[in-house]
Amino acid sequence: MKYFAGIDVGSTAIKVAVVNEDGEIAGVHVTASGSLFHKNSTEALNTLLGKLNLKREHVRYLIATGYGRKLFKEADDSISEITANAIGAFETGKAYGGVRTIINIGGQDSKAIQIDNTGNVVNFVMNDKCAAGTGRFLDVAARNMDLDLEELGDCHFQATTAPLNINSTCTVFAESEIIGLLAKGHGKPEIIAGIHYSIASRTVRLAKRVGIEDRVYFDGGPALNKGLVAAIQDELGRELVVPEYPQTTTAFGAAMLARNEFMADQTLEPA
Amino acid sequence: MTRLESIRTAVNNVQFNRFRFWLQLFFFLLLVYSGYLGVELGKELPTFSCGYNKEGRAGMCYLMTFQYQLSWPWQKLFSAAGLVVLSGFGIFFLWFIALNKGWCGFVCPVGTIQDWITSLRRWTGIRYSRYSWGQFKWLAQIKYVLLALMFIIPLGIGAGWFNKDLKAPFCMICPGRTIIPLFTGDFSQVSLDFSTKTNLFMTSLGLTVMGLFFIGAFVKKRFFCFYCPMGAFHYLLSKPALLRLRKDGSKCTRCGDCYRVCDQEIKDIADDVNKKEIMTDDCILCMKCVAACPEKGALKATFAGIPIFESTEEGFIKRMNKGRADGK
Amino acid sequence: MESETAIIIPIQPAPFSRSRQAGESQDVLDHIVDDFQDNPESMKYFYDLFRRVYCHGEELKHKGLLIGSTCIQTPEELIYAFGATPMRLCNGSYHYDQRGADFMPAKSCSLVKATLGMLNAETVIPKIGKPDMIVNPTTCDQKKKSSAMMESMGYQVYDLEFPNVKESEASRVYWQRSVRQFAARLRELTGKKLTRKNLKAAMNKTGRAQAAFRKLHSFRLKSPSLILGKDAFLVTNAYFFDDIDRWTLAVEKLNEELAQREKSGFKAVQSKAPRVLFTGSPPIFPNLKLPLLIEESGGVVVTDETCSSNRMLYDMTAVDEWLLNDMVDSLADKYLKPCTCPVFTRNDDRKRRLLDLVSSFNADGVVYQAFAGCQVYEMEYRSVADAFNKAGIPLLYVETDYSPDDKGQLSTRIEAFLESLKNRRKQRA
Repeated sequence: MKYFAGIDVGSTAIKVAVVNEDGEIAGVHVTASGSLFHKNSTEALNTLLGKLNLKREHVRYLIATGYGRKLFKEADDSISEITANAIGAFETGKAYGGVRTIINIGGQDSKAIQIDNTGNVVNFVMNDKCAAGTGRFLDVAARNMDLDLEELGDCHFQATTAPLNINSTCTVFAESEIIGLLAKGHGKPEIIAGIHYSIASRTVRLAKRVGIEDRVYFDGGPALNKGLVAAIQDELGRELVVPEYPQTTTAFGAAMLARNEFMADQTLEPA
Repeated sequence: MTRLESIRTAVNNVQFNRFRFWLQLFFFLLLVYSGYLGVELGKELPTFSCGYNKEGRAGMCYLMTFQYQLSWPWQKLFSAAGLVVLSGFGIFFLWFIALNKGWCGFVCPVGTIQDWITSLRRWTGIRYSRYSWGQFKWLAQIKYVLLALMFIIPLGIGAGWFNKDLKAPFCMICPGRTIIPLFTGDFSQVSLDFSTKTNLFMTSLGLTVMGLFFIGAFVKKRFFCFYCPMGAFHYLLSKPALLRLRKDGSKCTRCGDCYRVCDQEIKDIADDVNKKEIMTDDCILCMKCVAACPEKGALKATFAGIPIFESTEEGFIKRMNKGRADGK
Repeated sequence: MESETAIIIPIQPAPFSRSRQAGESQDVLDHIVDDFQDNPESMKYFYDLFRRVYCHGEELKHKGLLIGSTCIQTPEELIYAFGATPMRLCNGSYHYDQRGADFMPAKSCSLVKATLGMLNAETVIPKIGKPDMIVNPTTCDQKKKSSAMMESMGYQVYDLEFPNVKESEASRVYWQRSVRQFAARLRELTGKKLTRKNLKAAMNKTGRAQAAFRKLHSFRLKSPSLILGKDAFLVTNAYFFDDIDRWTLAVEKLNEELAQREKSGFKAVQSKAPRVLFTGSPPIFPNLKLPLLIEESGGVVVTDETCSSNRMLYDMTAVDEWLLNDMVDSLADKYLKPCTCPVFTRNDDRKRRLLDLVSSFNADGVVYQAFAGCQVYEMEYRSVADAFNKAGIPLLYVETDYSPDDKGQLSTRIEAFLESLKNRRKQRA
């Protein structure tokens, strides 16, 4: 059995995915990026292979993607995370009636991608100038409210009144706003819901620039946050397809591309 | 390059102004003098080969024939004799559709005379004048008025409404009548006919038009062609013509070079990027626009659908270089 | 209490070639020359020229008076006819952009900031001397307001009145008069007369340069490409300040080499390299950021629609009568009628030109660059995008400025775009 791997070297986290020659996913692994990208990437790959009882030689083709893709020299090839994300979402989405629009919120950026019925990228738009509306904003918010990231989702649903408006467009200034609201005595669930809606409205505005078509797929680390998912669904007016491990879609896409390229061109077989 | 391609390239890169000058000279000599050699092309020519040049002319301008025939008494006109009118018109039509309005741009002796006057003006260094767009719009209607009168007055003569002396009213005012015979030493048309009031009126109009013609041709390029009823007549019949001027709007940069060189100041040639057939009613099909277009394939002259002269970048550069070199 | 003696450390004068400003140009030039293979031999002239002028700060000699210009609508034939030398002042240096940011509003166009920053600096690179007059066509808002600023810096500025509508009769006549007045002003400034002879000689010069450019332009039609876009941009950027006769000779030499390349079947890029049309705000050395990113990622810029390249040299003048007045009016028409700058009210000509370029050059996609702050290019994006959408041609819109800090994100976007172009081609095949 041949295996193929994709590694997404992001700015906040490193994600690895392994698929077999039939296109089935064998396993995934997520770890923090830290500052030593190369070392941590190699470790992440080895950890996953260990978990799956595989050796490096079993992996016939490895594609790197993400911010640090060019730094991971072990990879056989590299592609942009947009193409990787598109492939990952397309493959996963096959079981849900076909995905056409992908919304990705990452640690430091957010993007919207439009694909056609063969998984090819037709249009995309990125917000990579500013951290507002990205995972970083959620980090800042959680820290200010003395909560863990994982608790934000549940807290969202405890709100009893309407979500509060967070007016600042900048993450740094929004921090001051949140502290102010806490001082005024507003409840954490309402503030958190407000934060989620703030991110959601910005994200949906971004997505409208590429045109929204069913089905809409939502991935990236923050997609684990059920409260954020609810806010986006509300702003979008549509249901979202959210994968079980949303941080790994891009790595999965890179792994699927590794498999497809290898199967299409057997000359890639190392001598 | 294949033989056909090299011929095509040579044609597209031709020194156009020089080519046109020689062609015009040839037709002028043919139409004004070859009658002396016995050439007889008939009385239905679609160009100002003036009938008043009795001995020199190679054939007669159809308008003279047309006006005379149309002024027959209606009894005669609408009887079997009328078939002669129709067959005459048929021959005129056949001559016409071969060259379309190219008869104006390359063959017409009155047109050629105007081009010679233009060369004289250039030699003196005096600049030409242009119409404003507003003036252009309403002045362009005059040729249709003259065309309409050219039908109505002869018919009116035949019906007995108008004075018989008004016969061939357009010939009386046409600059061809007064000017072309001058080239064979015949000054008799440059005169006033005092025999009747109508004749006096028409001949004075004729002399006025002649004066206007010389002044106008000196300050504008092809001044008279803008008002010529033969041109209007041509345009109305031009649908089936073989020689056509075509434009490919997608190649056009609207640089206006064609508009710049157009003797008739036709703006549409530059600005209209939708029409495929770009010959307007004012156009004399002189093809200066095609020669002045720097974009390959934007303008082309076709004969029965076959492109014979096309705008090319190479041709443009060669021609503008020559112009820079000797200021022609 | 004893006070410590302090010494004042004098400012060490450093040669220009070691300054940070020169470093910026050096980096880009090294990248253009060293990081690509098989550069054409005849490009050495241009690489050398930019190294001397931008990295070593060499002085450039010019004939007669120096007339600077801030836009391509300035009729340079008139300037040559009066025995003066025209020079395009538009600047591409981030160093000057930051200088300009000292006194310009934060949201202004980088190009205008850089140009004003350059004019206000102590060392002006390219070192061509202080312009005797700067001609400022009244095109976009920021250029218009620069007039007064440039005057306050001590330059003599001439406002060349340029219309904002080009379809009407009034605008055509207005512009023709404006050009005639410009000629009169040049006569006053230079003390010479405009004659048929010297204007013809000037038109000869520019005509020859335009013909050389057109030949280069037609060589780029070839697929796979014979020359990379980075080199073509360098060639046209050199036109801004290089001596026109030397420039024309160098381009004619380059054309000869390209003809050789064509005969021998030379390929400057892989056959699968996506062919890109570049349009929008002009890339000016050293800001060739976007074209370089495209070509680093495996694409090739086969043609462009920008005023630092194609638009500057493409349109040629047709003259009917070689008399002085007609020649001046013909020049005026050529600078106005085919101009596709977004300062006009309507942009049908620009859309048609873009579509024509895509089809004749067989481009796979289009990259539209807009400098942040350039209202006209940003607003025109929508109508251009609609036209391309209808025609089924992929378009990537990039809003950027002169700062190098978005190179990382931009390279991701461009790579993704090129990948989607390659995929599209594969699917069509």
